[in-house]
Amino acid sequence: MKITVNGIPLEVECDRADTAVDVLRDGLGLTGAKAACRTGACGACTVLVDGTPNAGCLLPATAVEGREVITPEGLEHPVQRAFAAHDGLQCGYCTPGFVMEAAAFADRWRAEHGDVAPPRAEIAAALAGHLCRCGAYEGVFAAVAAACAGDFDGGGPPEPARVEAMAKITGRARYSTDIRHEGQLEGAIVRSSLPHARVVSISGHQADLLGEDRTVRYVGQPVAAVAAPTRREALALARAVEVRYAPLPHALDGTPGGPPVWGPDERANAPSTSESLCLPGRWSDANLRGPFTFLSRRGRTAERRLAAARESGDPRLTGGTFTAAAQSHTAMEPHACVARWDERGDLHLQMSTQTVAMTAEHAAERWNLPRDRVHVAAEHVGGGFGGKMGLTGEAVAAAELARVRKAPVRVVLSRAEELACGGNRPGARMEISMLTDDDGRLAALGVDAYGRGGLAVSSMVASLARMVYGRAPRRLRDFDVLTNTPPGGPFRGPFAPPLLWALEQTVDDVAHRRGEDPIALRRRWDGNRKRQALYGWAERLPAWTGRPATGSQTGRYRRGVGVAAGAWQYMVDPATEVELTVEGDVVVARTATQDIGTGTRSVMTAILREELDLPAERVRVEIGMSDARHGPMSTGSRATASVGPATRDAARRLRDAGGLADGRRVVGRRRMDRLGYLTPFPVHGNAIGRGLAGSVHVTEVEVDTLLGRIRPLRVWGGIAAGRIYSERLARSQCEGGIVQGIGYALHEERLVDPVSGAVITTNLEDYRIPGIGDCPEIEIHFEQEGWDHVNGGGVGLGEVSTVGVAASVGNAVHNATGWRPHDLPIRPDRLLEGLSR
Amino acid sequence: MTEPTRVAAAGGTVSAVLPFLAGGTDLIARAAGEWIDLRDRTELTGIAWQPDGSARIGALTTIAELARDQRLRAAYPALAATAAELATPQIRAVATLGGNLLQRNRCAYFRAGFACHQNGGACCPAREGIARYGTVIGSGPCVAPHPSSLAMALLAYDATVEVEGRGHLPVASLYGEDPTRDHLLAPGELLLGAELPPPVAGERAAYVRATGRVQAEWPLAEAAARLVVAGGSVVLAAVAAGGVARTPVRLPEVETALLAGAPIAEAAARAATRCAPLPETRYKVALLTGTVEHVLAKAIAD
Ligand SMILES: Cc1cc2nc3c(=O)[nH]c(=O)nc-3n(C[C@H](O)[C@H](O)[C@H](O)COP(=O)(O)OP(=O)(O)OC[C@H]3O[C@@H](n4cnc5c(N)ncnc54)[C@H](O)[C@@H]3O)c2cc1C
Ligand code: FES
Ligand code: FES
Repeated sequence: MKITVNGIPLEVECDRADTAVDVLRDGLGLTGAKAACRTGACGACTVLVDGTPNAGCLLPATAVEGREVITPEGLEHPVQRAFAAHDGLQCGYCTPGFVMEAAAFADRWRAEHGDVAPPRAEIAAALAGHLCRCGAYEGVFAAVAAACAGDFDGGGPPEPARVEAMAKITGRARYSTDIRHEGQLEGAIVRSSLPHARVVSISGHQADLLGEDRTVRYVGQPVAAVAAPTRREALALARAVEVRYAPLPHALDGTPGGPPVWGPDERANAPSTSESLCLPGRWSDANLRGPFTFLSRRGRTAERRLAAARESGDPRLTGGTFTAAAQSHTAMEPHACVARWDERGDLHLQMSTQTVAMTAEHAAERWNLPRDRVHVAAEHVGGGFGGKMGLTGEAVAAAELARVRKAPVRVVLSRAEELACGGNRPGARMEISMLTDDDGRLAALGVDAYGRGGLAVSSMVASLARMVYGRAPRRLRDFDVLTNTPPGGPFRGPFAPPLLWALEQTVDDVAHRRGEDPIALRRRWDGNRKRQALYGWAERLPAWTGRPATGSQTGRYRRGVGVAAGAWQYMVDPATEVELTVEGDVVVARTATQDIGTGTRSVMTAILREELDLPAERVRVEIGMSDARHGPMSTGSRATASVGPATRDAARRLRDAGGLADGRRVVGRRRMDRLGYLTPFPVHGNAIGRGLAGSVHVTEVEVDTLLGRIRPLRVWGGIAAGRIYSERLARSQCEGGIVQGIGYALHEERLVDPVSGAVITTNLEDYRIPGIGDCPEIEIHFEQEGWDHVNGGGVGLGEVSTVGVAASVGNAVHNATGWRPHDLPIRPDRLLEGLSR
Repeated sequence: MTEPTRVAAAGGTVSAVLPFLAGGTDLIARAAGEWIDLRDRTELTGIAWQPDGSARIGALTTIAELARDQRLRAAYPALAATAAELATPQIRAVATLGGNLLQRNRCAYFRAGFACHQNGGACCPAREGIARYGTVIGSGPCVAPHPSSLAMALLAYDATVEVEGRGHLPVASLYGEDPTRDHLLAPGELLLGAELPPPVAGERAAYVRATGRVQAEWPLAEAAARLVVAGGSVVLAAVAAGGVARTPVRLPEVETALLAGAPIAEAAARAATRCAPLPETRYKVALLTGTVEHVLAKAIAD
């Protein structure tokens, strides 16, 4: 078949059933267009066909016969430079698709309207077919507007906000999904179709993925794997694998007395939903673990006061039951791994991971290899959010298949696998009570939280209430409700969003009942000095001072403004080292960390350039390799705070060593904070530092009371995380945190079929992440004081920027309508039902 | 089994006859194998205007074209608006009128490959499981709402469709309550196009969809309305709704109320009379009447 790709006439071989995106990626090696959903919902696969943007995943290859195709690699357009300059990207996986569409739109717009910036709604409508999980929408708006206004016509590279921006924008950056070695096979995973069963036999498979107990405990659990030269053949082989099960009784709804998910002697095998170790917990029932009460403060006092208040019907007692749906991580790059065993028997894993170093450790354990015989590489990672930690299932499958087939094997999860089994923030139910004293101070707090992490345990929703509102007595009890469903896991600010959803709305209730300004009340209760500064900023916002009286409106559309505070631990990897080597003219920095879209590479580059006074082309940061010196995981908001100071230390050592002589090598360390850490020794490279990062979000919504839609119009995010390493990158992180928080508040809900136990939100239409049209106008404000004790002066902000967002939306809806939402997400049906009461 | 929930072949009733491929945006997403390509049938593309002012739209005309065409926008604004608001720009660029009318439903269970009435099974897992996005009108064994927004708009315009070898049929006759399929054409029957009667003098029209997210989302309910108002009263009313039943539906009770002089909200509320909600779709009663109310107000304001 003849096509012209990027101006070059080509003869390609293809099967009638191939789609254009597969022919371009696998046939021609043009991997700029990504196959992220394969159902036309995300736009990552967009290419121009005779100038018109098309979803390459739904385009039969034969449809481009004789046509002119432009892929991201072949585009040359001012929009590209605009994206780089305005940081219209984070992980970059969705970016080539956005850029293709934006280029076509900008040309059309300028032809019709001249060189003027289009209104926001026009840009949103043009980009409606694109999804960005990092939430880089504010940057995209700015980039498209500037390009349409002609700001980027004048050629020449702008100073990009992140160093790899152009590589990502032009589709040249290679992600794990894009790797293709000579002779590489495609792997596919065979998954359990039953929620609980013993596997009696498997046939037709190439690798066995079951544990010693031969038991599956959720629909979708990996059972076996197969590999073949093409994806289509691999899927056909997988369908032909025969698994015979002996079904076991299963528990799906979490009601007490159900058949045990884990037998008494199997409980130690239950995975943890938490980033850290499994918390100790007793089992109060076959499928109810807890309570875990360790982080209570004067718990008995709190309990006594609450019980007395309840008994006497004390009007100062407030509270209620709140719920939150499970949220799927939904990184745009699915879990992907290319595994290869070399002639020495070393294992090479090229994978989409947030933890190259830890993944290598786990792989060494699993295959019983010395640590230095496992090499994990993650040059570019298309988002993680907590879902890509350690030795994940696709890597196990790929490595096992590679060993059996004696060839490199790539395993890429489908969007359906990703959404079902790729990780989720567990759903939760919170029962909260709050008592104030005669002076309106917090007298007692009670939180009982039931985490639903599937078959995983160790929920910490209630426990996190230790972090807020001073030293008032509080009884915090965490439970795990177990079911035969896929394990939940850590997700950006684990456990905090559901807690704050309940807590911050209850605080709002207290303020409302007392007739007190909600910010003023928080100011009184909150001992945290950094957040005090944020309150000062928030209460002066015109949107706040001009907010309507709660419940005062009666029209169809009602506006409201809500506030929520948030807190997050400061985490750091104290063992971080950065090695600098002078290679000719260039200073090369190496450490075993990775850039998942947060900008780690760019932060390191900026520090080196500043300290050594070097132009861009004389600094190169090579990260994403486990073989380098120890570096942090990209989780727990710790990467920048760990790597930043170590990079600076290395640069200074290089200077002190006498400058940039070719071949010189120094190692910089992340020196201890002035006051040390809260944790006596690091666990998994993690220390908890002193001080809490703080946030205050103010959100303005418009509620359509007729059709049940809530539109967040504007969000102000105030962040107290100390010194900001890079203004633009930090802002992008915080904007993304807000967009994900909006998704959590209004749209996202992972649904499990109550009969079969299978996840039914398996595509990006049924699992609804926010699109560009759902993105409010965002303003970020940084409070940089208060972190002088921290080496580097600043801590992470990826998590604190998202944790309170949903609660601020809830409070805004209450302000607009007088109705308080209790259940997440606040779907149209819930809003309509709530308002009709 | 590669995908966790693939318990039956997704893609619908197995048939020996190969399906037609138009834009492919529905067919390929369902991962069917072989097809008969319609894309070289250029005679099925485009809008032809008849001397009486009616329009014939070829089945292969893209949705983008329907949204863009100036004359169509002037003559049949609710159809053009429906086309402009459904799906996404990339989808609209290739998806066709015929494919839109004959696409399969979007029930999450059906798409995830659960066995059900729609693919040879004998149950409705949504009814037994999560039916929140299901129907609120009708009570057939399958609860998947009909997906086609354009069918709903064509219904409001009293359009006909032309099927090869069968001539012109009312658009409504394409659809029925049959739980095993989403349209009633036999395998191998080719849809040639649709024909809209000439617009009525003075008619105004509008389209409204209710969704959670702002764009690219399937409507929870949608409605199209055409009105002619003369001397302060409604003399013609055509109201259709989608997202609520196994087929796109007309709402004669609303039309009658309007013609009888009922205020908009009151007329819209009549839509509730034919609702028979599932326990989980009760909210759709209010959503449907709200959507109808909005579309009527919008048509009058336009
Ligand atoms: C994110 C997203 C949102 C969407 N939202 C909406 C929405 O709100 N409303 C809506 O209506 N749609 C929506 N769609 C669906 C989209 O409109 C359909 O996929 C599209 O209209 C199908 O047209 P096609 O030409 O690509 O059909 P194809 O995939 O080519 O065909 C669809 C079916 O029709 C048959 N067929 C096609 N043409 C003929 C013919 N001439 N004669 C006989 N049989 C034929 C095919 O065999 C096939 O079974 C959405 C899609 C996506 C991805
Ligand atoms: S991969 Fe094509 S739209 Fe998502
Ligand atoms: S930058 Fe858009 S998905 Fe990461």
